Amino acid sequence: MSGVHARGVRRFHFARDVEEALSLLAAYEGRGALLAGGVDLLRSLRVDIEGLIDITRIGLSYTKEARGGLAIGGTTTLTSILESRAAREYGGGILADLLHRVAVPPLRNMATLGGALVSAHPWADIPTALVALGAEVRWQGEKEGRVPVEELYQGPFRGLFRQAVAIEVLLPPWDGAFAYEKVGRTGYDIALLNACCGVGVEGGRIAWARVAVGARPDRGERLPWAEEALIGQRPSQTLWQEVQDLVAKRIEVGDDRRASGAWRREVAGVLVERALARASGRAGM
Amino acid sequence: MAVETRHRGAVGQSVTKVDGPSLVAGKPVFTLDHDVPGALVGKILPSPHAHAAIVSIDTAEAEAVPGVRAILHHGNVPRVPYTTAGQGWPEPSPYDTVLFDRKVRFVGDRVAAVAAETEEAAEEALRKIRVEYKVLPAVLSPEEALADGAPVIHDEPDAEGIYDAKHNIVAAVDIPVGDVASALAEAHVTAEATCEIPYSQHAAIEPHGVIAYFDEAGRLVLRTSTQVPFHVRRIVARVVGLDPARIRVIKPRIGGGFGSKQEILLEPVAALLALRTGRPVRMAYSREEVFIASRTRHPMRVAVKLGAGKDGVLQAIDMEVLSNTGAYGAHALTVLSNVGSKTLPLYNKAPHLRFRGKAVYTNLPVAGAYRGYGATQGYFALEVAMDRLAEALGMDPIELRKRNHIRVGETSPIFEKIGEGREGTAQVVRSCALADCLRIGAERIGWKENRGRRREDGPWVHGLGMACAMQGSGITGVDMAAATLVMQDDGSFRLLVGATDLGTGSDTILAQIAAQELGVPVDRVLVYSSDTDFTPFDTGAYASSTTYVSGNAVLRAAQSVHRQILDVAAAALGERPEVLELAEGAVASRKTGRRLTLGEIGHRATYVVDQRQIAATASFTCPESPPPFAAFFCEVAVDRETGVVRVERFVVAADCGVAIHPKAAEGQLEGAILQGIGHALCEEMLFAPSGRCVNAGFFDYKLPSSLDTPRIEAILVPSEEPTGPWGAKSISEIGINGPLPAISNAIYDAVGVRLTRAPFTPERVLLALRAAGK
Repeated sequence: MSGVHARGVRRFHFARDVEEALSLLAAYEGRGALLAGGVDLLRSLRVDIEGLIDITRIGLSYTKEARGGLAIGGTTTLTSILESRAAREYGGGILADLLHRVAVPPLRNMATLGGALVSAHPWADIPTALVALGAEVRWQGEKEGRVPVEELYQGPFRGLFRQAVAIEVLLPPWDGAFAYEKVGRTGYDIALLNACCGVGVEGGRIAWARVAVGARPDRGERLPWAEEALIGQRPSQTLWQEVQDLVAKRIEVGDDRRASGAWRREVAGVLVERALARASGRAGM
Repeated sequence: MAVETRHRGAVGQSVTKVDGPSLVAGKPVFTLDHDVPGALVGKILPSPHAHAAIVSIDTAEAEAVPGVRAILHHGNVPRVPYTTAGQGWPEPSPYDTVLFDRKVRFVGDRVAAVAAETEEAAEEALRKIRVEYKVLPAVLSPEEALADGAPVIHDEPDAEGIYDAKHNIVAAVDIPVGDVASALAEAHVTAEATCEIPYSQHAAIEPHGVIAYFDEAGRLVLRTSTQVPFHVRRIVARVVGLDPARIRVIKPRIGGGFGSKQEILLEPVAALLALRTGRPVRMAYSREEVFIASRTRHPMRVAVKLGAGKDGVLQAIDMEVLSNTGAYGAHALTVLSNVGSKTLPLYNKAPHLRFRGKAVYTNLPVAGAYRGYGATQGYFALEVAMDRLAEALGMDPIELRKRNHIRVGETSPIFEKIGEGREGTAQVVRSCALADCLRIGAERIGWKENRGRRREDGPWVHGLGMACAMQGSGITGVDMAAATLVMQDDGSFRLLVGATDLGTGSDTILAQIAAQELGVPVDRVLVYSSDTDFTPFDTGAYASSTTYVSGNAVLRAAQSVHRQILDVAAAALGERPEVLELAEGAVASRKTGRRLTLGEIGHRATYVVDQRQIAATASFTCPESPPPFAAFFCEVAVDRETGVVRVERFVVAADCGVAIHPKAAEGQLEGAILQGIGHALCEEMLFAPSGRCVNAGFFDYKLPSSLDTPRIEAILVPSEEPTGPWGAKSISEIGINGPLPAISNAIYDAVGVRLTRAPFTPERVLLALRAAGK
């Protein structure tokens, strides 16, 4: 399938910087596409692409500490994030927890964080985590901007990245820890359901909480009411189970060919409970 | 783990595979690795409808696409009813297929084919073929197929061999032995299980591909990825209307088949396109086409009822099958027959048996041969029912098997009653190490210590399950294989076999069988296989036949060459052949100690005295089909909260007689177990209400990967099959029969629910747990 669509491609460019990438993109008037890892481009149903613009040489492959959090370049591969020292400690080790469960090493060697963010498949692992982590994306197109990923996903973001480069993903600092849970059909599958949760504690009580569930089958979203139920409480297994029940009761889920809403409803609570328990363990509660 | 055999020499050694070095070095060995200059690209237009009549086809616009050289459709090709199933003659599958029909019967069915200079031109032409369809109501399940007033899928008048076309029944069997109903009614205890297997894919790493071209003599050469080169030649000749003598079929190295290439799919289309254009034509299925338009396992529902005495000895087995063959009946009758014929003899203590079933048409992809060939479906239900019976009796499942399984010197009426599409052949089991397999496997997994313990680890509960199985070695009364063995002037050998190595290692194994007889290392035997111009006949690589049937042919040829070598040596040494011995590359006299090397003998026969070619052609038909046996044990962990099942460990102890190549035999078991784990946990083709497969590719059809592979321990438990070459029986299929029931039984041991619908997805497992109030 992929081979068929790639055949419309007539030119391949290596952009030298963001500006060149953007001007090439503009010149194709919608028939160009940015290429980083190429994973989603290969699966794309777009048949109209004539020019591919490689953006892996414009200096956007890095993972570094930034204001206590992380700044990760848009073209950074999942493998290089996994290998980076800066990412190791972040959020209680959430990035290793997450990325080890995304696809398989050969794909992780290709796939980029920016690509995952932009493709934002509903069944994907990374969007759920980015939303939970409160990530922001810095983009550059005709204008420049910076927007929380959660907010981005609430709007029609796909058009934006037809004309803009995802420059950098900013992960804010968290005084606490996160954990990621997923069920797939195999060890390398997309998610039938996933959850990313984080908690921080002050004075024996939960100071902040983040709960996101994805592949419901819709894309990962935070469950603010679950977070509210956690904040101010003392962390305990009983609390996690209360939230599990709450999630199972209130979460919006649906059927698709991979799983039913009924299964997702029950298991969403389980994954949230497990992620909370592990996150709190990592946070040293 | 290899078990030492009493044989010395090539047999029983895990020698380097004869094709190993070329594969490791990435040499161009596969069908499409070779370009034929000037080859056109052939492509097929698939049906978008599950069931529709073709009202008209307009190819004018398509023909005008630059580079298009030929377009085939029902209006311009001969109409010859045939079966795509590559089986021996007489063909047991119905002639319900024509190359291009006026009707399409599943989404993906063949509507037209194009040959063009480039892939782009071919694709553009496909898009420009205007087809007007009259959409017909579609049948998307076997139950709908059998319902009153169901649309008739095969209403064409020229089809042959369909059991009851008006009711969509392609094949039916009903074989009673004794009186099952009374025996079940009178049994001390009964148990039953109804198990279902969905559509699933072979997923061989190499898709189907063929190059059709004309040699310098104008003969048509088909270089094709097939398990059945000789059937390809016979069937293509008939369908295309060529003298078979004008066709040569070459099978190069194959990247796996598992049954999906026991099927004549692209070859006649490529042949016809080559004939029409006078040009070479290459065709290959994309992965999506492999899923939709090649073949699948037969989805089935199998219901088993068992009745036994207080002692656990079976009195009755009732087995009823509903098989879905999809739009065409390739292998429909034979796979259906094998559900019973390869399972019921295992428990031959039951005097009352009934095996009945139907295979029905639906407007879904076409099922065909797939490793296990019905036995896999049968064992799922039989072995889950046996687990239930053991529970009802309060008996250990292993003990129940021990009291019922067939042993050396015993027989089953089923051997005679059910064959491949006709009656079978009476036979006595001459080798069976199943009792050892059960004991060794149980010890290895720690059956006594770990079963029924329900060990918990957070939400995970562990359980153990087991199952037994047998298969056959070739098809009695049908299979025939031949081998030609030639001694060269340097004393090395050429072995020409029709046998088809599809990645199993049979080229190596056949070389070992010859080398053992000839007292030479394997590398002194050059193997050339599967070329209908140069190698003698072989029915092909299916039905677990190659080691046994082809191997016996090779052994006979080698024995004849052995005798000829001794004759030449006797004349040279002036001694009687009886006192001579062939070993370690030389003939030596037991009387005088004088010796001649094979090189000297080859040289003498070729050039010196009484010149002749030392060579023999031998063939072997399959008078009986000795079953291999296996006992399967596994440990699973079930997540009670999500329904996820993990196979933690799998032990298989198998009796394939003498393992000619222990590593290859273990590899067959390991691969089959993993494929079976895929059946049990994740593999399932899904269909939209339109009948379109919605997960035709590896993105959404999941195979177990290395990440999902448990510790698989394959133990070869030796026996000696007196009719086998060097004591060997088959090993290629049996391994896939165990995982479904063993895993289902292990889930039951862990959490007390029976999973009878494969695959056991998290959703199905959780639903079963909740339905049971757990």
